Amino acid sequence: MSNNRVSRRQFLNYTLMGVGGFMAAGMMMPMVRFAVDPVLQKAEGGDFIPTSKKVAELTEVPERVDFSFEQVDAWYTSEVTSTAWVYKSGDKIIALSPVCKHLGCTVNWAGSPDHPDQFFCPCHAGRYEKNGQNIKGTPPLGPLDEFEVREKDGLLEIGKIRPNTLV
Amino acid sequence: MYWNSKDITTFIEQKEFVDTAIIPLLLVDGRASHIKQSAGTADFLMSLTAFMENQFKGRVVLMPPVTYTPQSSRSVLATEWKNVLTEAGFKHHFFISCDMQWATEAPEIDVIYTPSIPLENMDQKLRQSILDDQIRQVVPVFANNWAKTVE
Repeated sequence: MSNNRVSRRQFLNYTLMGVGGFMAAGMMMPMVRFAVDPVLQKAEGGDFIPTSKKVAELTEVPERVDFSFEQVDAWYTSEVTSTAWVYKSGDKIIALSPVCKHLGCTVNWAGSPDHPDQFFCPCHAGRYEKNGQNIKGTPPLGPLDEFEVREKDGLLEIGKIRPNTLV
Repeated sequence: MYWNSKDITTFIEQKEFVDTAIIPLLLVDGRASHIKQSAGTADFLMSLTAFMENQFKGRVVLMPPVTYTPQSSRSVLATEWKNVLTEAGFKHHFFISCDMQWATEAPEIDVIYTPSIPLENMDQKLRQSILDDQIRQVVPVFANNWAKTVE
């Protein structure tokens, strides 16, 4: 037996303080977490998808660049490969979507021997200028969409799709 | 386009532009000696036709695959499908298969043959380049066929 006896009152005090402390902490923690949440947020890299294309290798001639990302459809995750036509205009990098604005086929640069400096859609002979402008008299009704682009460590990264800003 | 209600609605509205059906012909063979190859062929043929759909979305409808067994009569299938597709309003019917027997048993339809390439052990990049190559072979066939009716 120790001389230092704990009285009933002391024992209840300690117990209550301990339990109360835990309860208070349990309530405060989520609040603190909410308050400082913006600080804890991971630095967002944007929705840019890296490609294996070196920016230095790009030329004035549009070039096909493939990039793949994971797409989640409900419970089903699949890897989707997408393409862009990328070229340099002065110092600016331009990435155009290959999806024809008519009915959604895939267009090719210089796809028609008669029009070597235009995008060509093989389905209904739709044509576009290099900057994506649709050519009057062919089926497409609007210019090709554009991708946001940026450079990271010398490699090209492709971002969100947006309406053409060049025409 | 695919054979689903959304795409078919577009098809009905845009009949002057969408005039082609792609029909994968797929042999399902359960015999122990053939089962693996049959499954591998299905894998390849479905990937290839889906990629074709992606390239020519605005002009073609990719039909659900015609699956048949070694006992099926190819010539009966060919006639039936030809009629159905004509009825639906498709001017061009592109049958695609890895099964060469269609040439002898059902000469009434033109089938585009492709070799069956086993894709299962390839990474995404190699797969893509193989499919690219195959598409490149098929495009002139499509283009010739499409050009025929214009003239």
